[in-house]
Amino acid sequence: MRSSLVFLSLALIAGGLCGWTPALAAEPLKIGMVTSITGVGAESGLYQKQGAQLAVEAVNKAGGVLGRQVELVTEDDQTTNPGTVLAFSKLAGDRSIPAFIGEIRSTQLHAIEPDVRKLGKPVMIGGTDPVLTHMDEPWFFRFRPNDTYSARVIADYGVNVLGKKKWAIVHSTDAFGTNGMKNLVADLKARGIEPVLVQGYTNKSEDFTPVALAVKQSGADVMGTYFTYEADLGIFAKQLAQLGVRIAWVGSPSTVTVTAMNLAGEALYGTFAVTDFNRDSSAAAKSYAARYEAAYHVSPDIFSSWAYDAVTVLCLAINNAKSLEPEKIRQAILAVKGFPGAEGTYNFDKNGDGLHGYNIVRNRNGTIVFDKHIEFKD
Amino acid sequence: MGIVLQLLFSGLAIGSIYALVALGFVLIYRATNVVNFAQGDFAMLGAFAMVVTVVDLGLPYGLGIVIALLGMLVFGALFNLGVYYPLRNRSFLPVIISTIGASILLENGVLAAYGPHPKNLKGMFSIKGFDIGPVFLDSQYLLILAVTAVMVWLEYLFFERTLLGKKMQATSQDKEMASLLGIPIALMIMLTFVNSAMLGGLAGILVAPVIFVSVGMGSNIALKAFAASIIGGFGDVRGAIGGGFALGIVETFGAAYISVPYKDAFGFLVLFVFLLFRPQGIFGERIAEKA
Repeated sequence: MRSSLVFLSLALIAGGLCGWTPALAAEPLKIGMVTSITGVGAESGLYQKQGAQLAVEAVNKAGGVLGRQVELVTEDDQTTNPGTVLAFSKLAGDRSIPAFIGEIRSTQLHAIEPDVRKLGKPVMIGGTDPVLTHMDEPWFFRFRPNDTYSARVIADYGVNVLGKKKWAIVHSTDAFGTNGMKNLVADLKARGIEPVLVQGYTNKSEDFTPVALAVKQSGADVMGTYFTYEADLGIFAKQLAQLGVRIAWVGSPSTVTVTAMNLAGEALYGTFAVTDFNRDSSAAAKSYAARYEAAYHVSPDIFSSWAYDAVTVLCLAINNAKSLEPEKIRQAILAVKGFPGAEGTYNFDKNGDGLHGYNIVRNRNGTIVFDKHIEFKD
Repeated sequence: MGIVLQLLFSGLAIGSIYALVALGFVLIYRATNVVNFAQGDFAMLGAFAMVVTVVDLGLPYGLGIVIALLGMLVFGALFNLGVYYPLRNRSFLPVIISTIGASILLENGVLAAYGPHPKNLKGMFSIKGFDIGPVFLDSQYLLILAVTAVMVWLEYLFFERTLLGKKMQATSQDKEMASLLGIPIALMIMLTFVNSAMLGGLAGILVAPVIFVSVGMGSNIALKAFAASIIGGFGDVRGAIGGGFALGIVETFGAAYISVPYKDAFGFLVLFVFLLFRPQGIFGERIAEKA
């Protein structure tokens, strides 16, 4: 009798465990994402989340990753560096998360780099400061072309296509703006051109009259800009127009975001910009734009497209690696070649840069018109 | 010379916004001995009230301003009742913490209701401005200057020429004595909060077409307005106005002639110098000299 009871108990336990096993296998695979839910970047953070979520839905519809449905776990970084560190720490504390989607702002990525290095797990990034993938950091993977390329395209277009030689450079003094400026100055100097004005400004300024006056007084016939926040860009564009400054303008990608165009309106008409995302640049970009608009009823821009590609490529890499081990995921991402994303075709190099070219677009009376794509082999 | 005049114009206009917000700080401080850390959010709320009336409801601009200011009037009363009045008999610290909490609540409430997108609010005039010689006079900046001048004059008239204004002054100078004289203290403080909320809201309404309407628009302005009120003499109405204008001019000229990236630093550098050598500010009295 006693042995029967023992046997029955063991059978029940074994049966229970069999019942448990399928539930463990079906547990979602979490991908952590640090994004701006509050703070000055909250709007772009929303677009980032939407882009990432769209990719998650597509991946899950196609069967998920390693047989598991993907779940996006987000933490608010408040668009501040300390907030980003805190948000990343919270996500990093969850050991079940194998990889992360980082931020688009380079200054925030620099803030978490020491923690990323310590953690030793892949982080997909949208920041374009070239240093991020050239500082011996093996865990950053970039899903936008870095600013060595943007500077080369800005300089090339302004000098060779627009035929302008007297350059004013206006840039944010954060990591993105400062490194963008340095790269542009270096590229212009390599062409024998010394800028007539290099003017930095602090983010979140209420008034850009001194900057606009400096551009006016410089006598420049072309302006290259690196603006981080669209509100700053909007105020500057309007005040520049009010002071009657009408020179050629080739800006960084923030010049053609949905937000910038809504805020600055006709003050940005006629401007040129380098941009990684443009719906007319490829079939993949067109397809992404259509799906994003159907889901969210607003046009996509760079803030959503890179996050979409980041989630897509990360999931592809994990499936290819057939493993959640960080080093295997890392090698699988670096092995991605010729992958058509919304941002462009991904060919990862040893530094972790996936894209090596930019689009040139023009703001024609409020409509962004694609001009051409410039790709670099290096 | 044209550059100097252009910079002066911009500096005075931005300084006007600091002055209006600083005046709100000072009025509440004089009445309650407490710094209201939600003062910048009053500006943000005023701007969003305009978004509701003019953008969402499509009302005429003038009517939108009136409704927005009436809304700020009601808000000021509710703010007093909810944030200050329950803690009125405590020391200053719980009240300060209460205003900080209110600021966080307001910003996140607006963020939840309106989302993070900055909004574009058109100016009152369709014409962007006009040139006088080498100087471009932005119509919105002109409006800011004109309204600030009128408001300062009206505030002066109110406090110096009306019985109600004198009662509010008496309350701010000595609550116990005012109470003994039959002045309803609670009502006077309520009216101070109402006045301060309307001033803050008006600042937001005026500056919104320039810097766009966003949840965080008030906090940067408030920080500088606070610095301006200290430079001018904390607790002194003339100090709030003078400090605001001074800060706007220092910032703008410092940016143009020394360094744009250090624009924000110039104002705080001036603040530092004042705290070291003249902590009572330009118009403030030394404590030992007060009666």
